[in-house]
Amino acid sequence: MTSSQPEAEAPEQETVEAPHPLTDFAESVAEVVGGEAVITFDTVKVAVPADRWVQALTAARDELGLVLFSFLSAIDWSNETAVGDPLEDPLDEEYIELICTVSDVSEGKRVTFSTRLDHDNPEIESLIDVYAGANWHEREAHEMFGIRFIGHPDLSHLYLPEGFLGNPLRKTFPLLSREVKPWPGKVDVEGMPEEEGEGEADEAAEGAEQAENEEEEA
Amino acid sequence: MTLDQDMVRHLSEVSVSVELQTPEMTLNIGPQHPSTHGVLRLVARIDGERAFDVRPVIGYMHRGYEKLAEVRNYPQITTIVNRIDWVAGYANEIPFITAAEKLMELEVPPRALWIRLILTEMARMASHLIFMASYPLELGAQTPLFFALRERERVLDLLEGVTGGRFHPNFNRIGGVKPAYGSGSKTRKLIQDLPKTFYEETRVAMDEVLHVCDQLEDLVAGNEIILARTKGIGVLPPEVAVAYGVTGPNLRASGIPFDLRKVEDYLPYDQVEFNVITGENGDCWDRWWVRLQEIRESARIVQQAIDSIPSGPIQAKVPKVIKVPKGETYVRAENPKGEMGYYLVSDGGQGPYRLKIRSASFSNISILPWILEGALVPDIIAIMGSLDFVLGDVDR
Repeated sequence: MTSSQPEAEAPEQETVEAPHPLTDFAESVAEVVGGEAVITFDTVKVAVPADRWVQALTAARDELGLVLFSFLSAIDWSNETAVGDPLEDPLDEEYIELICTVSDVSEGKRVTFSTRLDHDNPEIESLIDVYAGANWHEREAHEMFGIRFIGHPDLSHLYLPEGFLGNPLRKTFPLLSREVKPWPGKVDVEGMPEEEGEGEADEAAEGAEQAENEEEEA
Repeated sequence: MTLDQDMVRHLSEVSVSVELQTPEMTLNIGPQHPSTHGVLRLVARIDGERAFDVRPVIGYMHRGYEKLAEVRNYPQITTIVNRIDWVAGYANEIPFITAAEKLMELEVPPRALWIRLILTEMARMASHLIFMASYPLELGAQTPLFFALRERERVLDLLEGVTGGRFHPNFNRIGGVKPAYGSGSKTRKLIQDLPKTFYEETRVAMDEVLHVCDQLEDLVAGNEIILARTKGIGVLPPEVAVAYGVTGPNLRASGIPFDLRKVEDYLPYDQVEFNVITGENGDCWDRWWVRLQEIRESARIVQQAIDSIPSGPIQAKVPKVIKVPKGETYVRAENPKGEMGYYLVSDGGQGPYRLKIRSASFSNISILPWILEGALVPDIIAIMGSLDFVLGDVDR
């Protein structure tokens, strides 16, 4: 469906100048909340400074009618990774990016707000008074990333057992099962032999191929 | 004689506050309780028959899919997203695959999109039929279960016929859907995409589903006990629903005609005709009624789709080892339980740098402390059941 949208040439984070149908909307959001808007693959993303976080989302709710709280979460932008592939281009500065998507309930307009937090000691005002639904999402972000939400009534663990140490979604948090034994699935895909002269069907998905490989072996 | 609800309520209050000594007590419901649809624990502080502070305890099913997604590659992730909302496993794949395709700027062949649409609606019917079976059961009515599960099985048979799996189809591929190959063929010739009898069986099945909707309506909508247990119970005002992020049939039951199938462009829903069903009062009854009507609408969508599905390829050309270019996007879809979305951040590798899974049931049950405030203990079961959540979708 992507191609039906006039997506411009630069694949990453286009600027608002791109002739995207959401351009006007993105600009108006940025103006109202006082942030910087980009359109990234049909998603309007507005970066606001951390000290204007609550203010920006209040404006989004009251002035833009983005009343539906969709989700709040974070991204750990880190050079150091315990699991998974590290970033291709190392970052100058590591940070935690807090993201929160809100939407209207008529035309389906949605905006993802984002803000940068300190990597080692992330803290920010809680959104609970703006969107009541932020309660659980902030508890999750607290235990998974170690973000402290000022003004949150109860930052106890949501998923993790009490007394759990560490923040599992931080890139430096090891995945213990992976430490013990490398994931065998990766071998299946990476080590797949390039079969020559097989024609069109080659491009098809792994599942069928794997099944058939097994069959041939049997 | 009809049950006067105000009178019943009044009497219960009188007996609680005046005649009985009711010291405050804490009641643990679950984690192993049939009405919790999995492992949800409610810590309810109750005074007599009324709960005044209900705290849901979740996390018993937490499997850490967001972390696991960071160490898997894209084709492998469809298998784990299947297991989020397992009563509609197929539907979970759609927004994830669409997000990856968006970043790759792939054009998916129309036939593949139509197959996705048909199977998504079947997943929706299967999910809602489970609700039609379990909800009256929680209120004490057994019979609807047999009617609903029989038709659900019929729908699941169709899904299984196409995908090979009842619950975890793992059928979507980046760029299309899984092709079927002739067995043992070294040239791997594509033999067919949908089973030969699929259209015919689907037509019959949709008629049966529509028929069972009538039967369920007769059975449940005319039952005075069910009406007394659900009408006016667990009222969820629209402004509270949106603030908590309640979506899907629960939001529509509160009167907001918001359906992502109408506003998001991820499957060709604009080419089929269907109504967005809304309730009036946002009570348990409306949530039941909206889901029943949605089964009918889904059956209508499938009927139209099998008539208008185009022929052609079902898989776009993609490289054998899938790498998704750098970028990020949020793609959401109308799943049976509500808004399901994936915030996908790619660094150009074989797997996501970060995959945030926005599941519907998580936000839907975050309303529990609010909606159960002051509810009678038996109503806790009625209200919880009406929200139709699945713990895999809550805990991820």
